[in-house]
Amino acid sequence: MVTITINGQEITVDDGTLILEAARGAGFDIPTFCYQADLMGIGSCRMCLVEIEGQKKLQPSCITPVIHDMKIHTDTPSIVSARAGVLEFFLSNHALDCPVCDKGGECELQDAVHKHGPRHGRFGEVKHRFHDKDYILSPVIVKNSNRCVQCQKCVRVCSEVVGAGVLGSLGRGYEQEETSFLKNTLDCDHCGNCIEVCPVGCFMRLPYRYKSRPWDLKGADTICPYCATGCRMVIEERDGTVMRARGQLGVGINSETLCARGRFGYDFINSHERITKPLIRKYGKLEPVTWEEAFEYVKDNLSRIDGEKIGGIASARLTNEELYLFQKLFRTVLSSPNLDSSTRWDAAAVENFISAADMTGGGTSVFDCMEADTVLVTGTQLSEENPIIDYIVRRISATRPINVVVASPRGMKLDKSAHLSIRHTPGNERAFLDAVTLSVLSAVKEAPGSVAGISRLRGVDLEALLSSAGVSAEEVDALAKKLLVSESVSIIAGTGFLRYPEGSAGLGLLREVLKALGKEVRVLPVLDRCNQRGAWEMGVLPGTGPGYGGVDKRGLGFYSMMEGAAKKEIEALYIIDSDVLGDYHDESSAMDALNALKFLVVQDEFMTATAEMAHCVLPGATFSEKDGTFSNQEGRVQRIRRLSVPPGKARSGLEIIAGIGKAFTPSFVDGARVSSLSVFDEIRQEIPMYSDVSLVFNNKKNTENKLDNREALIKDSGRKIVPPAVEPERPEEEGGRPFMLVTGNHLFSSGRLSTRSAILGELLKGPIVEISEADAAELGLNAGEKVRVKGERFEAVLPLMTNKGTKKGVAFIPENFCEAPVARFFTPGGGVPRVSISRA
Amino acid sequence: MEKILLKNLGKPDYHRIDTCIAGGGYKALEKALKMLPDDLIQMVKDSGLRGRGGAGFPTGLKWSFIPKDPTLPKYLACNADEGEPGTFKDRGIIDNDPHLLLEGMVITCYAIGAKTAYIYIRGEFQFGARRLREAIAEAYDRGYLGKNIMGTDFCLDMFVHEGAGAYICGEETALLESLEGYRGQPRKKPPFPALAGLYGKPTVINNVETLSCIPAIIEKGPEWFKSIGPEKSPGPKIFGVSGHVKKPGLYELPMGTTLREIIFDHAGGMSGDRPLKAVIPGGVSAPMLIPDDLDTPMDFDSVAAKGSMLGSGAVVVMDESTCIVKAAYITNRFFSHESCGKCTPCREGTIWLTNILKRIEYGKGRPGDVELIESLCTNIFGRTFCPLGDGAVMALRGALKHFREEFLYHITNKKCMV
Repeated sequence: MVTITINGQEITVDDGTLILEAARGAGFDIPTFCYQADLMGIGSCRMCLVEIEGQKKLQPSCITPVIHDMKIHTDTPSIVSARAGVLEFFLSNHALDCPVCDKGGECELQDAVHKHGPRHGRFGEVKHRFHDKDYILSPVIVKNSNRCVQCQKCVRVCSEVVGAGVLGSLGRGYEQEETSFLKNTLDCDHCGNCIEVCPVGCFMRLPYRYKSRPWDLKGADTICPYCATGCRMVIEERDGTVMRARGQLGVGINSETLCARGRFGYDFINSHERITKPLIRKYGKLEPVTWEEAFEYVKDNLSRIDGEKIGGIASARLTNEELYLFQKLFRTVLSSPNLDSSTRWDAAAVENFISAADMTGGGTSVFDCMEADTVLVTGTQLSEENPIIDYIVRRISATRPINVVVASPRGMKLDKSAHLSIRHTPGNERAFLDAVTLSVLSAVKEAPGSVAGISRLRGVDLEALLSSAGVSAEEVDALAKKLLVSESVSIIAGTGFLRYPEGSAGLGLLREVLKALGKEVRVLPVLDRCNQRGAWEMGVLPGTGPGYGGVDKRGLGFYSMMEGAAKKEIEALYIIDSDVLGDYHDESSAMDALNALKFLVVQDEFMTATAEMAHCVLPGATFSEKDGTFSNQEGRVQRIRRLSVPPGKARSGLEIIAGIGKAFTPSFVDGARVSSLSVFDEIRQEIPMYSDVSLVFNNKKNTENKLDNREALIKDSGRKIVPPAVEPERPEEEGGRPFMLVTGNHLFSSGRLSTRSAILGELLKGPIVEISEADAAELGLNAGEKVRVKGERFEAVLPLMTNKGTKKGVAFIPENFCEAPVARFFTPGGGVPRVSISRA
Repeated sequence: MEKILLKNLGKPDYHRIDTCIAGGGYKALEKALKMLPDDLIQMVKDSGLRGRGGAGFPTGLKWSFIPKDPTLPKYLACNADEGEPGTFKDRGIIDNDPHLLLEGMVITCYAIGAKTAYIYIRGEFQFGARRLREAIAEAYDRGYLGKNIMGTDFCLDMFVHEGAGAYICGEETALLESLEGYRGQPRKKPPFPALAGLYGKPTVINNVETLSCIPAIIEKGPEWFKSIGPEKSPGPKIFGVSGHVKKPGLYELPMGTTLREIIFDHAGGMSGDRPLKAVIPGGVSAPMLIPDDLDTPMDFDSVAAKGSMLGSGAVVVMDESTCIVKAAYITNRFFSHESCGKCTPCREGTIWLTNILKRIEYGKGRPGDVELIESLCTNIFGRTFCPLGDGAVMALRGALKHFREEFLYHITNKKCMV
């Protein structure tokens, strides 16, 4: 700690604190342009100059650390004139086209000039102009360099945080222009973080351009509805149309950063295809009815069916409150144990993963994970699935010595920040992690005896593990060595463990072994639906109740329900926000199963193929039209807030589920109108993990940049779940099909919301297939051409993309596209499918 | 005075290692390798050698900042990015006596414990870069570079890196950025290069002339070196005289030689015997001096006392036919062209100044322009990231200080005074 004096006020701060941070912490305002917490300081804009006693020149406070006894002034006449002088320089060649600039009204340059002067313009020369017209850098980014203040934030965020590194400077001196290479159209993440950090109207959103002024927008502070990272953002609307989503500096774990999905994927809300009225099938046709009629209709039909024969599937995109009420409706009102929250993975896989990742042990902050000596990323295409976690790993690993190890079948952006990138074959996380565990154990003199499950590895042939995982002994040993020298290890484990459930055994064992060796081990689950963790914790699982509690009777999961429906063991389904027909691996059997149902209720915002088959369709609300909470993958409970009302008669899920519940028992919820807060109070009481979380959220500009809001983390449930064993999968035979097919989310597409977004549709026009550059070269194929992907039962013609770092023999098709329902290549329990790829 | 740095200028084939060795080259290296590195640093400290790049920082002291940790890689970067208008002294050494520089560098590396050395040479010096590469190849052949130099444990690799023509890369941290392959823009200090320089490792950056002084100091001892010139900035200095003199060229003279001696005794006096109007003592960023200052001894402290600076020792002589407004405009145009664009005052300020000066020069000056220039100078000076912007202001302020009338005449009469 050092003691310094700022404007006569004595303050004590940590060693190495920047003068700027110390002064702002003490409440003194220092204007800046190039400074941004979390980016490397460059000290170039010269707005933050301060006077230090004993030093002749004014010093940049944003890159000067405090020294004991420093006497600093932030308000002397020379500083005041220096600020006005710098602003005068900024304005000298600035376009000053504020009336037509999108940034007008929220421009940092405007604000600074209003506050710090100069009051008169003295510039009487011809302004330097980079170009006459704005130019388009990407489908979402448009650029006007004449407004640039050369703060380099765009360049720095692009390379230091996003890792794309596609922005740089052309020219020199006053001709310096931050833009893409030779101003070409960008082939990048299209995340728009360059827009967000830009203090002026230099980088702009193309979809938002000329659409509104900031003061005409009404905003709501909410959570991104895409992956489970739980990024805080503000969505803003004008006259009922959502105009933009933006991150906020120092707010949420993401601060100002968002990915393309979060920043540009909001426009599905504005879709004209939304369902606006409750519909009931009458004489084979869906006809609009009132809500009362709909609720009665649902009640009449469901009450005629035995509870055991009713199934419920609720999307992991619903709020905790909705999910809680949903399972309450099933378990208490309908007496049905059949609940699931995913149409993609098996309930047993989920329980194994929950156990392996120790999710019952409460929340795990990503920032705690990044304190570790070694961070292992496995079972996830992190850079595409959870881009903000990728940003956090990249940013923090650049400032501290951390071993970052990436293990995945496909190459990803994070490889550049990794000390070790291991490419293993798809679906073999278990073989890979077991090999690592064996290598760790072989290097320690005395194997820890107390680890449950360690006997599993006895007599296992390391060579066999290595060959099935497709990795070398050197790679595994290198990782084991890093783990052994680390005092703390974090494992970032993703949906690969849900797709290939066997992997969880490997993950759980490695975690236990490392713990037994005295290491601090954290597992951060990284999931791909905004409230996936919440759905599990609310008890929307066939095997566990709310808060991972036990259930009286184990119900059926999604796959079993579908099979049951086909066998008429399930007679009714209530499906919320899931297109079962589109997601199922076999369309005709799904069709048969749904046709066999006596009663199908679908609650959705859009008329999906599944909804078309329903007896009753209930129009729901998107995340922007409801209040509630999401639990992100870390176990942080965060509020979402309503921005606008749902279209037509559509209602929030909470109102719909409560309406159905009340139709059965009027006391289903307290009071006449159900509120998310009252349901959350019930959750606090029923689920001890949630009893203490704070939903209070500071939306002020957070000058201290404290992103880790620990009060929102849930606590240890004190429970352990015993998951059912999963059958080892039989890998599909090669049969002349050399590629192993993997699927998952694409950077621009992660499910049904993204396919409804026209802006994201611009970024990824449709499904693609991606293979390694080496494979493409061997096959004589070029990126961009159409290829035929042929599996055992299904084939598709798709444009080819190549990835430099991907393992040979691995092909990737993104999930969730109706045009290429990738699920049809897969058979549940059938291992990794094989496909052949040839020119179409 | 006995010449040290330029003693071999004009000797045929002296860039060849055989000729050089026959002429006594690499003797100092032989002696240095038998000494302890710390003793070498002490010798250079004792000699009082100050950096010849312009700032005049004591060389031995700079070396002594390098951490002694033997496991840490260390680097020597020779600054041969000679770009200041008027300066051409390093080129004289590189083109004619490259082995003198190489010998100085090998000794320096031995003293600071560097195993890799770079010569960052200005991109336009194609000939010099070729000369250096040939010289380095010869030195490798003779065992003055590479593994186990002269049979000792000391190993050193040396590379020539050509810049791409930016003046800013002569600033030491921008030089490092450029050497690493990044955009040539200065880095923040601290950390100073002695602790975190090239690739974040301890690095010494010395000028060509500075490094070329090293062999003589080792050979003849610090006392001898100290005996040349004034006590506080001793040693020989190369003055590059250009402009309106009869014999422009490089003159190696003891530090502290007066301007009068340099111009009138050595450079043959004013061309056409026109009266002297102004003289820039150390490259264009040094403020001009006037005939009254002719008896200023040319050493770091004496020139600084006159409000200018010795800089690189590039003496630019202007006679009465020179329009100072035009000279100021051209000088400023150079700085705005070479401003790297990193910090606001330099990037925006220098081009603004250039535009005003251009107007004045072309008869479009407005009343109040001089005051505006002065105000802008205040807003630039001391507020820039690196000394480039300060240099631009110092040059302009120097011109205004002595020749304000000429600027006002230009503005009022829309024409030149001379």
